[in-house]
Order: sequence, then structure tokens, then C-alpha cells
Amino acid sequence: MEIVQGVLYGFQVALQPINLLYCFVGVLIGTLVGVLPGLGPAAAIALLLPSTFSASPVSAVIMLAGIYYGAMYGGSTTSILVNIPGEAASVVTCLDGHAMARQGRAGAALGIAAFGSFIAGTLSVVLLTFLAPFLARVTLSFGPPEYFALMVLGLTLLTYFARESMVKALMMAAVGLLCGVVGQDTISGRLRFSFGIRTLEDGLGLVPVIMGLFGISEVLLNLETRDQDRGIFAAPTTGLLPTREDWRRSALPILRGSALGFGLGILPGAGAIIASFASYAVEKRASREPERFGHGAIEGVAGPESANNAAAGGAFIPLLTLGIPANAVMAILLGALMIHGLQPGPLLVTQAPDVFWGIITSMYIGNAMLLVLNLPLIPMWARLLRVPYALLFPFVLLFCLIGAYSVGNNVGDGVVMWVFGIVGYLMKKFDYEGAPLILAMVIGPMMEEALRQSLILSTGSFAVFVTRPISAGFILASALLVLLPLITRRRPSAT
Amino acid sequence: MRRDLVSALFWLAVAIFAAAQGLALKLGSLKQPGSGFFPFWGGVVLGLLSLVLVARSLGRQSATGPRVRPESSRLLVVAGALLGYVLLLERAGFVAVTFAFLLLLLRLERRGWAFSAATAGAGAAASWALFQLWLKTQLPVGPLGF
Repeated sequence: MEIVQGVLYGFQVALQPINLLYCFVGVLIGTLVGVLPGLGPAAAIALLLPSTFSASPVSAVIMLAGIYYGAMYGGSTTSILVNIPGEAASVVTCLDGHAMARQGRAGAALGIAAFGSFIAGTLSVVLLTFLAPFLARVTLSFGPPEYFALMVLGLTLLTYFARESMVKALMMAAVGLLCGVVGQDTISGRLRFSFGIRTLEDGLGLVPVIMGLFGISEVLLNLETRDQDRGIFAAPTTGLLPTREDWRRSALPILRGSALGFGLGILPGAGAIIASFASYAVEKRASREPERFGHGAIEGVAGPESANNAAAGGAFIPLLTLGIPANAVMAILLGALMIHGLQPGPLLVTQAPDVFWGIITSMYIGNAMLLVLNLPLIPMWARLLRVPYALLFPFVLLFCLIGAYSVGNNVGDGVVMWVFGIVGYLMKKFDYEGAPLILAMVIGPMMEEALRQSLILSTGSFAVFVTRPISAGFILASALLVLLPLITRRRPSAT
Repeated sequence: MRRDLVSALFWLAVAIFAAAQGLALKLGSLKQPGSGFFPFWGGVVLGLLSLVLVARSLGRQSATGPRVRPESSRLLVVAGALLGYVLLLERAGFVAVTFAFLLLLLRLERRGWAFSAATAGAGAAASWALFQLWLKTQLPVGPLGF
């Protein structure tokens, strides 16, 4: 009953004309950054954050959230038509999506990606609607030890799923924790790692760091490879509706992708990229003709595209119920909520029900908008992809520069962005990932506070983390995740 | 791999620095952890992980990774242009710096002078209109008044 009331209230908020406008702008920009390779949702949200300062908190977050799930839709277009992932979570869509395009079935691939995304996106919002208030009530009983243990688990999961080496991912998490320390200590008030530089006294800005690590570094890397002939397929304007046979093949992959994506999306550190890869692997294994995969199997488009959208919905659960971001994008949304004076966490549903329910219900509307918008707009996005990179990249850089500067009208933030741009470029060259660094940097201060409060509570005993059952469970799961790769690696060499 | 060795040694240096700073900030006690507690142990963990990577890279002898040297001089120009933009922004004003920045990058990509100047001019004007007029961002004003 409470949920029905909440949903109705949410629709009242989300259907206000101004919020509909923000939702529309958000999903449109999201699709755009999804389509354009080299500019992901994290950088785009960071870039647009300052422009929401004058809006109400609900409108601001509705728009920023729209960018995130909109990007999941847009990413598939580039994967299918150009064979370049528009967005990291659409990497696997290249495999079968582009193969379908080469067989003249681009329309069906784009169509099923859009429908799959819509179904999965909507299912995950339904789950979010029912689970979030329930979890918010459960997490009310969490104390500092539980929070600390959960954040340890989140960071461990992120490094466990790292594409490169786990050691390197753990190192990046440690670097992120140290970056989070910069600025004033919240408990003692002392300045740390600021070296007398004014910009650093307030801590490293999340926006400039993300712009550097995900925006600037990506452009620098792309500059090394001269514009190649991208071989864009003429965008189909007809044949976007999948046939009955397409639906028959795609129905189960969409449902499985939705469930898998939602589950992985909730876990801090997993997210849309992992979900899409996992879904592809599952579909290939479940298929009676796995040899069709990689040669234009529609299941290989339907599953992963559903999974990444469902994950985008699931990722809101830890943010709205615990105040802990599940990935880099959620980290910026957390920042956005706090800038607007809201404290995400178990109390959000009671303290700011308009925001809590407004965001959730706006996602139903946003998903519907995306479906209606995207199918007719596909030819336009495809034309956009023909703009040469040489013309595009100066503007991407310019937007990053303006974004970093305008957060606090501070040149120092521009310098921070530049430094992290170079560092991010080198990290990519040396095979380090940026995501663990960002997540650790955001939860670092929360983790430190929880750790120090826990130790004060327990008068200096680390046993507090293993004697409380929930916290012990989180710590045990983290330990298993760290030990698992060591055990499985040993086994083949022993035989 | 050699590349791993180089990067691991770099992060080891960062770790030692962080731990030293943490010590200087006072660790406090377990009952009452101080400002330096978290950075110190963060540094220690990073240092240990770096050592694991050093050991691994020494153990493995396959040294054929991709080249790390920047493959083109355009990279250095773009990196320089970015820093120049940041440092000159408040002195010369948004429109002038943006025009110069876009012109430089477009010329770098061997676009003609006329095309580059027109695009840079239009880009500077459009972004000023978008951010200053529409989004109400406070962009720095130069000596020329814009």
C-alpha cells in the first residue's frame, strides 16, 4: 500500500511539465553520448552537473539519471552500425550486432536492442520500486561497522571483476582512497595532502578528476590512431521491427538479461559492463547452436543490451537505500544529490520522498521516451557518426575544460583535470583501470569515517567487524573474493 | 613485463610518500585514530600491492608489450594546448582563449585556414551563448569585455 502511494506520488512529481522536460533532455543527451564513441555517461554527467545548479534537486537528478540509462540505449547504435562500441557496456554488442548489419539486418539488430532495452529497463525499475523501500528499512539498522564492511565488499567486487589484473585494480582502489583523503579531515579538521594549495584544501573535485580520467585521457588515446575509415553502414529507416522469429529467439535472452543485469547492477562494483559480458556468456552457453554467436545471432544482441539497461536500474538501489554508489556514474549522482543538500541513504525515502519516488517513476517515463524517440532518430545518430573525429575532439576537450572550470569557477580545478588527464592516459597505456580509483575516491571519506567511528565504538578492537553478523558476512564475502583467484590459479599448476 | 615494473615502482614511490605524510599527520591510537591513520595504512597497502607487482614483473620475462612512448607529436601539442587554455582562461577571457584553442587544434588536423578560423569562431560564439546565456555559467571575461 505504502509503495502504491509512493508510486502515485512519484508520478505526480515526474509528470510535472518541467520534470518531463528535464527527463527528455537527459535521455536525449544520454543517447547522444552513448552514440558518440569516446564520451561516456560519467564524463557527460560530470560535465552537465554545474548546469543543474539552478534547477530543483528532483529535476536535476531526473535529468542526470536520464543521461545514464539513455547512454545504454545509444551505445548499441554505434556498436551495430560502426563496429565501435559507443559506450563501454556495448562492447559485446559489436560481435553479433555488427555481424547482423553486414548481413543486411541492421534494422532488426537496432530494433531488438531498443525493445530489449525498454523491456529490461522497465522490469528493473519495477524491481527497484519494490525493493528500494524495503532495503531502506533494513539498512536503517546499519552502524559504522556494517557500512565499513559493505564498502570493503564493494571495492573488492570491483577489483574482482576487473578486466586487467586484480592486483592492479586493488592498487587503483588504494590510490583512490588516498585521493579521497586530500583536503580537510572531517573529524579533526586538519588539512591533509593539500601542500598549501587552495584548490586542494576543499579536496580533489570529483568532476575534474572524472573529466580527466574518462574524458581527456580517452581523447589523447584516440589521437594516437589516425582517423580510419570507419565503414558506417547506411542507417536503415525501415525494417526496425523485429520479425516473429526474431522475437521467439530473443524473448528468453531479454528476460534472462534483465534478471542478470539487475542482480549485477545492485552489487557495488559490478555494473553494466560486467552485466553485458555475463549475459553474452550465458546466452552462448544456453543456445542450442552456439556456433551462430559472433556471426549475427540476434540473441547475442538482445541479451547483453537488456542486461546493461537492467544494470543501470539496479545500480540505483545502493545509492538510494545506502548512500553508497555502485559505480563511477552513481558516484557523480551521489555528489549531485549532496550538492543539492540531500543526503542519500536509508532516510532519503522519508526525508525527501519527492526525490526518492520522483527519480524512480521518472525512469518509467524516460524508458518509454527512449523507445519512442530512438527508433525514428536512428538515421540522425548515424549521420552524426560521419562527422570526422578531427572535428569532434576539439569540442569534446572544450566541453571538458568548461565543465571542470564551471563547477567552482576555479582555474585550479582545470589544472587538476589536466593532471588526471595525463595520469589517466598513462594508466591506459600501462593497463590500469580508472573505475576502481573513482569509486574508492568517492567512498574513501565515508569509509574512513566509518572505520574511525567503529574503532572508537569498540575502543580500538578490530573484532567489531567480525562479531556483528551482517558486517561479518560482508567481510567473509570480501575475503573469499580475494582468495578465490589465488586458489583457482594454483590448481592447474598443481596438476 | 618491464612496463609493469616501471609503473609498480612509480606507485611504490607514491605509497612511501603517502605513508610518510600519514606518519607526520599523527596516527593516533586504535582507540582514537588520528588524521594520519587512514593515509598511513592506505599507503602501506598500496606499497605492498606495488611490491607484489614488482615481484611478478621480475618473475615474468616476456618483455614484448606495446610501446609506451607517445606515438605522435600531436599528443604533446594537445596536452600543451589544454594546459595553456586553463592557465590563460582568466587572463584573456573565455571567447579569445576558446577561439585560439579551437583554431590551433583544427589547424593541427590540417584543416584550411579559412575553414579553421570560421569553425573556431562559430564554436567559441556558440559555446559562449550556450554556457553564458542559456545555462548561466559565469565564464571569465577578458580585457576586451567578453
